[in-house]
Amino acid sequence: MGLRPDRRIEGDWYDGPVPDGVSAHPETHLDSAFIFANVEGKVEFRRGSHVYSGSMFDVSPTGHVIVGECAMLNGVYIVCDSRIVIGAYATISWNVVFMDTYRMPFAPEARHKLLEQRFHERAPQPKGADVPSHPVVLGDNVWIGFDVCILPGVTIGEGSVIGARSVVADDVPPYTIAAGNPARPIRAVQRPAAGERT
Amino acid sequence: MSHVNPPNPPAEPIPPNVQVGSGTEIFGDKIFRRFFSEREPAIVFGENCYFDGVQLALGKRAIVRVGNFVYAANMIILAEHEIQIGNHVFLGFNVAIADTDFHPLDPALRVQDAIAVSPVSGGRPRPVIATAPVIIEDDVWIGPNSAILKGVRIGAGAFIEPGSVVTKDVPPRARVLGNPAQVIGQV
Repeated sequence: MGLRPDRRIEGDWYDGPVPDGVSAHPETHLDSAFIFANVEGKVEFRRGSHVYSGSMFDVSPTGHVIVGECAMLNGVYIVCDSRIVIGAYATISWNVVFMDTYRMPFAPEARHKLLEQRFHERAPQPKGADVPSHPVVLGDNVWIGFDVCILPGVTIGEGSVIGARSVVADDVPPYTIAAGNPARPIRAVQRPAAGERT
Repeated sequence: MSHVNPPNPPAEPIPPNVQVGSGTEIFGDKIFRRFFSEREPAIVFGENCYFDGVQLALGKRAIVRVGNFVYAANMIILAEHEIQIGNHVFLGFNVAIADTDFHPLDPALRVQDAIAVSPVSGGRPRPVIATAPVIIEDDVWIGPNSAILKGVRIGAGAFIEPGSVVTKDVPPRARVLGNPAQVIGQV
């Protein structure tokens, strides 16, 4: 259902409001406020976009997620510290991971410290690492198969398709089918004719 | 509040052959649903760990050792033999660690196995199934959706990228990615 003025969702099982950082066009479908329980930054749902249960948005105060027109998120896990853009008409299957940051340093010594810090702070997650984030951008009309991981810094071009269970570590050009772990281009898909609406 | 906890159902009672170190927190309703180990002890948790929504599926002879400051959320440990997790290990969601093949590789034995686990088994024993210990050393980071398979040793400080399927040993401080996981760098 759409977002009510009191920031609740009609018929929601979860007893909590949708955080103020989440904005949704009136013609959107959000399954539950629980999906946004870990949102401290901004999330924008454009007209006709819809997100279903099994999704979890973990957005830090500096994070900004944009879900384009008529994009369908059928169970995504989003870890965002900077920017994740999902283009219009995207079809995202279940258990798809988008992350623009690892939230953890590569150096084992620093990871070691963070896990001890999490314990002392009694935090539910190890957080607060000073690690870079690299925006993730999906062009319009991208189709992502189930269980796919999209790693930090990846750009997927317009009209491309990612096969189920792929791990996308490098950019995928527009109108390309890519699959595998790590994902590799397999072949091109037909570009729409000039003037045809994609 | 800077961070909201998902609603946690109360944890199931902890079986007597599970040792839990001080400061270790365990959440979730599925954790011991598939716990059948008769070992004494069957699981040793170190101190100051956090296990949320983890499933510990242990066969009769399985033993699992977990170090200190281990963080794990929504993942599964499938043990028939032995799984060791060192100190300061991070395990992302949807990770699976298994020390067994679950079923025989030989097709004829697999027919026997299929019958032995079926409703018409009549008490037939299952054939021998290959197992080998999994050892995860200290300071390892395992990204979401990864799988760590039987007989693997992951060296200290290694970084397993999300979605990796680890089928062979990983050297210390290696960064690995892929299915099968390959070394792509050092950390």
